[in-house]
Amino acid sequence: MMWRDVGVTLILSLILPVVAQGARHTPPGKPKLTSCRSPDKETFTCWWEAGSDGGRPTTYSLFYHKENSETVYECPDYHTAGANSCFFSKNETSIWVNYNITVVATNALGNNFSDPVDVDVVYIVQPHTPENVTVGVLEDEDGPFLRVSWEPPSKADTRSGWITLIYELRVKLEEAEEWEEHRAGQQKMFNIFSLHSGGVYMVQVRCKPDHGFWSEWSTASYVIVPDYIPRERSMWILIAVFSAFIFLILTWIITLNRSSVKHCLLPPVPGPKIKGFDQQLLKKGKPEEVFNSLVVQSFPPRSTDYEDLLVEYLEVYVNEKQELMPEGKDLQDVGCLKSKSQSDNDSGRGSCDSHTLLMEKCGGVESKDESSYEEPELLQGQAGSWERLERGDSQVVDTPDSSDGRVKTWPLVFSPSIHGSSDNHHYGTLEMPKQHSTSEITYSVPDHLFPTSTSFPHHHHPEYRDSLGEYSEYRCSRSPSTGVAYHWEARHPTQAHSNFNIRNLERQKEATGLGLPPSRSMEYVEVQKVNQENQLVLKPLSSHGRGPFQVQFGRAGVDYSKVNGVNNDNVLLLQRQREMAEAGQYCNYREKEGAEAERYPTQQQGKTTKDGPVATQLQESTCLTTSGYVDTAPTMPTF
Amino acid sequence: MIYLDNTKHSSKSFLVDTEVYVDINLIITAFVLFHLSLSQDSHFPPMGRVMMPRPSMCHTSSLQIPKDKEASENELISLARSLLLAWNDPLLLLSSEAPTLPHPSNGDISSKIRELQDYSKSLGDGLDILVNKVGVKLFALSSALKKNTSAMKRPPAEFNFHFLMSCFRRDSHKIDSFLKVLRCRATKMRPETC
Repeated sequence: MMWRDVGVTLILSLILPVVAQGARHTPPGKPKLTSCRSPDKETFTCWWEAGSDGGRPTTYSLFYHKENSETVYECPDYHTAGANSCFFSKNETSIWVNYNITVVATNALGNNFSDPVDVDVVYIVQPHTPENVTVGVLEDEDGPFLRVSWEPPSKADTRSGWITLIYELRVKLEEAEEWEEHRAGQQKMFNIFSLHSGGVYMVQVRCKPDHGFWSEWSTASYVIVPDYIPRERSMWILIAVFSAFIFLILTWIITLNRSSVKHCLLPPVPGPKIKGFDQQLLKKGKPEEVFNSLVVQSFPPRSTDYEDLLVEYLEVYVNEKQELMPEGKDLQDVGCLKSKSQSDNDSGRGSCDSHTLLMEKCGGVESKDESSYEEPELLQGQAGSWERLERGDSQVVDTPDSSDGRVKTWPLVFSPSIHGSSDNHHYGTLEMPKQHSTSEITYSVPDHLFPTSTSFPHHHHPEYRDSLGEYSEYRCSRSPSTGVAYHWEARHPTQAHSNFNIRNLERQKEATGLGLPPSRSMEYVEVQKVNQENQLVLKPLSSHGRGPFQVQFGRAGVDYSKVNGVNNDNVLLLQRQREMAEAGQYCNYREKEGAEAERYPTQQQGKTTKDGPVATQLQESTCLTTSGYVDTAPTMPTF
Repeated sequence: MIYLDNTKHSSKSFLVDTEVYVDINLIITAFVLFHLSLSQDSHFPPMGRVMMPRPSMCHTSSLQIPKDKEASENELISLARSLLLAWNDPLLLLSSEAPTLPHPSNGDISSKIRELQDYSKSLGDGLDILVNKVGVKLFALSSALKKNTSAMKRPPAEFNFHFLMSCFRRDSHKIDSFLKVLRCRATKMRPETC
């Protein structure tokens, strides 16, 4: 029994594969047309690839029909073009006609059709490679070059113009990696230049019809380029040798004339020459001696007369009558904007040197203007000559934006004669002339002291001099409309301006009436009036409150308000030290240290003086009443 | 029906006439551009060959092309000129239909069609000169041709459009080949130009 089973198993195992094999047979897989090509636009060939053969021998057949007929033809030639191909001869080929081609795979079990393909012969032209490619080396005046020539493929009929071919070639050195390609158009010959001497080149050519595909590259042609020296390189060698030669000659020449060349290129630097400087002494190592020898006896200039050194002088033209006595009390810098806080008891100059005053540029301050100005009227009856600093200056102030009208009106001296101005200026010194000897003090004010030029008062607004020679600088602005608004800025004269020694002369208390009152050591200048030209006429006030110009304030002392400025309403803004300032009012008094706060009335209230000038019409009370506004506008009397 | 009139000039005199050669060269230069622009099928994606109507329905299919390349020059010239003439109206149709195509780049297509019209016109003028020189009598457009031309206005537009463009491409290729043959024949003195 067992043996029988084994036998059956064996038999089955032998049969089964055979049976199974028979079962694996299937109809053939689907074939596929790979390409159709025509080398000459007269014939063409189609190739296909087989699908799975299904285990049985399979045959392939190709069928086609043309576009304008339904007749199906079979491939006429399966062999000429090789396996799995179909070749259409000239007779069977119609150009400009669509072929619909199908391949059928057949085996015992069935068949399978490929997808149909439409083909128009004129669009599938791919010629053969060019033939007879020859490469030769030719000589030229520039060196050798390659000449490549070829012929069109024999099958393509280019002679009748049926096919028009264009060519392309590529070249490379044998050991190189990249090809160098060149289009040759319709020519059958090409030259290649710039060769490597002694190199081995490979050349290949291919072609393409106007509308079609590129052919394959022809087989490579090899060529050896003979050795040669490129002309270009030899030229460079010559140039290099020549320049080296010239360089050597130049070096030799320079070496011969070393010293003179050195002198020419690197001129010797002159050493320091110090008079009296003895280098030997220095070397000896005794610096003191060395430096002592440098000492020139005449240096530094010793002069006890320091005044000679001072360049800034104020030239003062004083009326003969006037005798000025320099007061030695304190020397103030004329025109000095520096706020000197004089420690003498003539304090009280305080309010005007506040730098918090509003400032506005004087519209009219023209510092440089030296136009003539009115002659200041001499104060009459004054010992001192207080002259009106600026009078009716017809000079219209200029541009508001001119430099700060620093023209200070020095109530005293400053004569614009500084610049040799006209003799019209008469200015009294600040110092009140005393009855007794007066020494004329001339100060010449140098330019720089009056940066704004000599805007010295004549055009400008008199400077308000507060205590002791402090001159505040008032910038006057003239509002275009009324011209009456003045903004005052009490400023401490800056250092630059200071170099004046102005001695305050004691002045007499005589009010000049017209001019500035004599100033004392602690002179206060008050605005006497504003003349028609919108200039404030200042007059120094005496602290003693003498004279009709005294400020009448209810206070024990005199109340002076420093003018902060003039607002748009042509109101003088007074500065108040006390906190009485109302909102918006700047009636502050500035207290000088150690000095009694003195307030300057910017204007005198209702002051009726003999001479009539009333500086202001503003009510003092306004200041007191915290209104702080001194309104000068409407009532400025004119001289 | 196609007929030719060769009586005016012998083919030989035509062949040696360098003027003719120059003319033809110019024509071909223009035409190459013309045809090349057409060869770019990018604007006309194949719609599937199955759907394509048979090219035998091109309206110019009735113009018989020479069976081989040994056709006479006159024949070639006549064919070229007739083909060109046959496409005048269809080109107009194409240019009017192009903007309405549902194709995304129908603007480009429109401009290309206009370009083709221009080339076609200049080519036609050149061929006319040549025809006058050579004295060939042109083919008369057959009635079938005319009928086919009018039958082109069928929807769908894109379907027709694509079909028309492929017909036009083929016909321009024909003209191109004919002219090149003519050129080569005209310059037998300089065979390197072929």
